[in-house]
Amino acid sequence: MFSSLFKAFTNIFKKPQTIDYPLTPIAKDKDYRGLIEYGEESCIYCLKCEKACPPGAILFVKTDNPSENEKNKKSLLYNYNPYLCIYCGECVRACPKPEEALWQSNKKPVVAIKSDDVNSGWFEIEKLHKN
Amino acid sequence: MKKIKVTLEILADEIAIFYDYKKWHFLTINGVSLGEDKLEVQWIFSQYEAMEDIIMFYAECSYKDVIPSIVNTVPSAIISQRELVDMFGVVVEGSEKGLYLDDDSKQAPLSGCSL
Amino acid sequence: MKKTINIPLGSQHISLLEPVRFKFECENEKIIGVDSDVGFVHRGVERACTTNFKYDGIGYVVARICGLCAITHSLSYTVAIEQLLGVEVSKKAKYLRILLLELDRIHSHMLCLSHTCENAGFEAMFMRIMGDRELIMEMQELLTGNRIQFDYISIGGVNRDVNLELAKKMLHTLEILKEKVLGYMDEFTNNWSLSLKFKGIGALSLDEAYQFNAIGPLARASGLKLDVRNEISYLPYKELGFMMQTHSDGDINARNIVRLNEILNSIEMCSNILLGIPEGEILTKSKGKPNGESLVRFEAPRGELMYYVKANGSAMLDRVRIKTPTFSCIPAFSHIFLGENYADAPAILASFDPCLSCTAK
Repeated sequence: MFSSLFKAFTNIFKKPQTIDYPLTPIAKDKDYRGLIEYGEESCIYCLKCEKACPPGAILFVKTDNPSENEKNKKSLLYNYNPYLCIYCGECVRACPKPEEALWQSNKKPVVAIKSDDVNSGWFEIEKLHKN
Repeated sequence: MKKIKVTLEILADEIAIFYDYKKWHFLTINGVSLGEDKLEVQWIFSQYEAMEDIIMFYAECSYKDVIPSIVNTVPSAIISQRELVDMFGVVVEGSEKGLYLDDDSKQAPLSGCSL
Repeated sequence: MKKTINIPLGSQHISLLEPVRFKFECENEKIIGVDSDVGFVHRGVERACTTNFKYDGIGYVVARICGLCAITHSLSYTVAIEQLLGVEVSKKAKYLRILLLELDRIHSHMLCLSHTCENAGFEAMFMRIMGDRELIMEMQELLTGNRIQFDYISIGGVNRDVNLELAKKMLHTLEILKEKVLGYMDEFTNNWSLSLKFKGIGALSLDEAYQFNAIGPLARASGLKLDVRNEISYLPYKELGFMMQTHSDGDINARNIVRLNEILNSIEMCSNILLGIPEGEILTKSKGKPNGESLVRFEAPRGELMYYVKANGSAMLDRVRIKTPTFSCIPAFSHIFLGENYADAPAILASFDPCLSCTAK
């Protein structure tokens, strides 16, 4: 009973346990699961990442000016939506070249609110993908 | 897992003979839709202090049948019966609607027929 | 003139963490009738699992039913599908799965204990337990990459490995945590705010626990020996030092003591795992599509969780049935409230540790 009174008294002389973020930055771990990044030169366009993604955040659609990669036979373009992604890493595990074509960094996504209207371009891409 | 087939008429008597409240633990009631107008309802029990001893009673019926209630034998089955009414749109004795869904939402989402 | 009045412990209440509503019929401060309403956060997960997602993505969908028992939902679904596909998981992956499951149990019990202290008016203890809980959250972030939604389990094993340096750091943190939890045990048994106030309130006898099919720490505090970790064979709990903790009183104080004992047992199991991780692969590939039906039970922090999966050989499943622990305890909750004072109702509700996002899926 009196041990808690004693502990409450000594707490007056201790520092608080909280960090006043964002004045003090928090150390970021190198293994934190962040944004997915794409290296176009090593991609072989097998489309395994598109099939493995649970919410459908990676979509390949036909484009008019394709890249110069010789494996891109159907003129496809890679599209990624960081606001639909759940950062699980299934696409990296499904890719046959995980360090060169697709990898997961530790950067955090940019925060957006509804009036920024970040998803209107994505709805167009989904319609193109269905056809 | 052991499966025992019953019909809706003999269900209440079978469970009253089988259930001993110090030996069997009631898990839940489950419904599986088998197409346009057939439904399979399952009553699942497991034994206390035994390794993986599970018994399932199952019965096939249609969406228009009245399913008997087992609340007299197993008092904690009332909440599973209310969920079955909401999710499948069937009628169970003594169980009312409205656990999860309101009146203006799409009714019976898990049933095979489109209502 | 009516003799009784209706008072709600409404969906908005100053001491309530979860969206649940109870309507009490009271006669002079004693409760004589209970009516409950759960279902404020129904999202239709069972229907989404059979129409919108394929069988290999559903592990991520069911993990987002609840924040505190996310790993148990994801693991139960994965084990059910592995039984249908015939995949053998390596021993190292099983040990790592148990490690994360027990860390999850520790932080969930600490959250419940701190909320109980807040209801007793002892806010300094609430802050202390929450501050010590940060040790566990940091360990989980180093192991899996995130604090709450782990995304750690895939079909055939786990996603990340534990190296030697991380294991040493975790062992050191577990030692520090054990000293602190022994200090809490001292407070919960001797301090007047926490032990004398809760003795004899909200009691459930052993016979009633059998009749109403109570599960989890609620049943173990009344003397009922029900723990799913004793009754399953797909994870090796017996060789890691698991022991079931029971008590015989059945009131709020007994439930707190059972939860503290479970935290100490989980710390011991985690230390045993980190000292003896076997060699092997962490992920085995699976082939084919699932066919048949299977039923799996696991022990979530709040009780017994059951999954029933039925598949027909294609990529979309036929039926996924989820039975959550708080859902099957609702008849027992309604029975415990009868005969108690209305002023004790928030404290009794906090000792049940309800999780409404699991209940109204």
